[in-house]
Amino acid sequence: MGFIADSFRMAVSLIVAGDADVISAVITSLSVAIWSVLFASLAGVPAGVAIALGKFPMRGAVRLLLNSLMAMPTVVIGLLVYGFLSRQGPLGSLGLLFTPKAIIIGQSILAAPVIANYTLGAIQGADERILPTARTLGASNSQSLMLLVREVRFGLVAAIIAGFGRVVSEVGIAMMLGGNIRMYTRTMTTAIALETSKGEFAFGLALGLVLIVVSLAVNLVLTVAQESHRA
Amino acid sequence: MKQLSALDFVKYRGVLVTCALALVCSVCFAQARLKMSTTTSTDNSGLLNVLLPPFEKQCNCKVDVIAVGTGKALKLGEQGDVDVVLVHARALEDKFVANGFGVNRRDVMYNDFVVIGPANDPADLRHAANAADAFRRIAAKHDLFISRGDDSGTEQKEKEIWSAARIAPSGSWYRSVGQGMGEVITMATELRGYALADRGTYNAFRHGKTDLVILFDGSRNFTRPGKPMPKLTVAQVKALTGANGLFNPYGVIAVNPKRFPYVRYDLAMKFIAYITGPVGQRIIANYQVQGDSVFFTFKGK
Amino acid sequence: MNVAKYNLSSVRASYGKTLAVAIDDLSIAAGELHVLTGPNGSGKSTLLGILAFLNKQDKGEIRFDGVPVNWTRKECALLRQRVTLLHQHPYLFSGSVAGNVAFGLAARGIGKEQARNVIRESLEKVGLAGFESRTARKLSGGESRRVALARALACKPEVLLLDEPVANVDRASAALFESLVVSLASDGMTVIISSHDERLGARLGARMIYLEDGKLGCAPEPLPSVVSTRREEGTHANS
Repeated sequence: MGFIADSFRMAVSLIVAGDADVISAVITSLSVAIWSVLFASLAGVPAGVAIALGKFPMRGAVRLLLNSLMAMPTVVIGLLVYGFLSRQGPLGSLGLLFTPKAIIIGQSILAAPVIANYTLGAIQGADERILPTARTLGASNSQSLMLLVREVRFGLVAAIIAGFGRVVSEVGIAMMLGGNIRMYTRTMTTAIALETSKGEFAFGLALGLVLIVVSLAVNLVLTVAQESHRA
Repeated sequence: MKQLSALDFVKYRGVLVTCALALVCSVCFAQARLKMSTTTSTDNSGLLNVLLPPFEKQCNCKVDVIAVGTGKALKLGEQGDVDVVLVHARALEDKFVANGFGVNRRDVMYNDFVVIGPANDPADLRHAANAADAFRRIAAKHDLFISRGDDSGTEQKEKEIWSAARIAPSGSWYRSVGQGMGEVITMATELRGYALADRGTYNAFRHGKTDLVILFDGSRNFTRPGKPMPKLTVAQVKALTGANGLFNPYGVIAVNPKRFPYVRYDLAMKFIAYITGPVGQRIIANYQVQGDSVFFTFKGK
Repeated sequence: MNVAKYNLSSVRASYGKTLAVAIDDLSIAAGELHVLTGPNGSGKSTLLGILAFLNKQDKGEIRFDGVPVNWTRKECALLRQRVTLLHQHPYLFSGSVAGNVAFGLAARGIGKEQARNVIRESLEKVGLAGFESRTARKLSGGESRRVALARALACKPEVLLLDEPVANVDRASAALFESLVVSLASDGMTVIISSHDERLGARLGARMIYLEDGKLGCAPEPLPSVVSTRREEGTHANS
């Protein structure tokens, strides 16, 4: 119990002192998360739109699959991608394992179903008059879809925030694909895992608090930018 | 309102992408990188933080340390996912080389294992004759024992001692937890049990993170009280490893370039030369955790 | 006698599972004002959806300007640029009034400069001059409807379809609206208004199209286009 109180003090001093390891871990966490959410959105948003609006035979099964993918454990994704990126695997010659790029690949796969699912929800919850209105005013199908996405953009920001939260807090993929290499692929979460394994509970929790503060900051930026975009 | 409604999103992301690019670029290094797998206990001891920077400066490269259990460290070498391996499990190392995965194995240093447990020592290890006897006493009383259970060098050692004691441990008193050394010490502390630990990790925990004490160690038979442990040769240490004792020699092995042509064999050999050379060896010998030496260099090196 | 804008033969269309429209023969004249009338649930909205080329009929043939409609994607996209439907409860997009009104123009590739003029004209026509930079969603009910109308007018369609445009609207706005549609028709636009107010047609001097479950309707004057529907199931919402 004592370590919880210690950790608050430590967290403040970590933030103030600007310890190089901690700063590196924060930057690594943020940069891989941002790239992952970007790639996941490029795949997930169109997928969510397509599943929401499409009329294809296996639609119910696809939606079920999407829901299940959201519950995929990170270690499983890590293992699967590891199998591909390892030198023994088909993509081994790219030498991606134990680099930040490998983490980005894994985390993109993690975030894509989350973003797709939220997008699906946002589109389904959208006013059903949007598409007919756009169409009758002469917009093409793609123009109408872009308008629809624009009209539900707050739901999409929620999707991105959800995706970001999912990747910045995960440890299985970062550990397995990144290797927790100091100053290179050590993220906030793998650093916390390391410190915890060394029995440094206060330090681990302090890092956790730093992570929360960083996440808050990112979400604040996203929310404020969105608010100023309104109207 | 523009027709291209997605343009807003794209513009919005443009800012993020630029920032991300800057961040990632700041993280990426253009230097040559040597990938080394080693054990968590080695990494946790902090030795590498002192040992690697002079080498990195000297070769103008970066060493990526991937710290996992011994089993996985060797497996990474078998898959060619790393360039060099630094572990402490002689039997497995020899197999690794024999199977053609590694070349140029060198002895680097040794440390030792200790049996830790609660201060009141319910199994009375203080009077144990040797490691096997110590384990026999614990098993006889069914005292709680926490095992690594993760294919690590420490677990290898533990298995060797159990087999020397001719005991196959099982039952609720024997907990195989599949986690690292630190976690095992923490668990043993919480549950008031025994465990086999490397001296380095134990020392790191000694002040404040555990109240367990060393109840049996391998140097008992040849340290005089108050005198530091004498330097031992490779052969002497080898005689006191395995079931015979608690010493723990480290080997460094380059991953075989004939098998995996893309590995950085040149950098790996440079690294091996460094840690077995005078500069590296001195750093190792002088390294201390909480005021105690935890790694020892071989006599005659 | 004007050339028919629409010709419908043996058209059947459903709304959900029920048959909503069953029209054997209907001609809608070009450049005229029409009122489509009938009680709630008589299939007016479904018919308007078909005429707007938003929803395809199940059976039968439709001709537009004498040309049969095959309902291919490309064809529909082109036709929809010539026909605009104004919903009973119109949806305004997020953003400004000008943004809303300009939507159809951007879809037709009309440049910003030209668009500005068209927006101004359209807003003036509906009595909302100067409303360009107002936030569309913050307007009153009546203003919102007028913005939607301006948005439709900005498209300068050949056919303007209006679904219950003056239901629950105050007298003054209704009068304004009525004179507007009359002038549009006299300028050559084909205008079809659906309304459950049977006297609207008489007031406007429009051609009448009666839609009624299983009942033929007769118009007093002018020349009637008489249509019958068959009633299948019971009720369904005709929004």
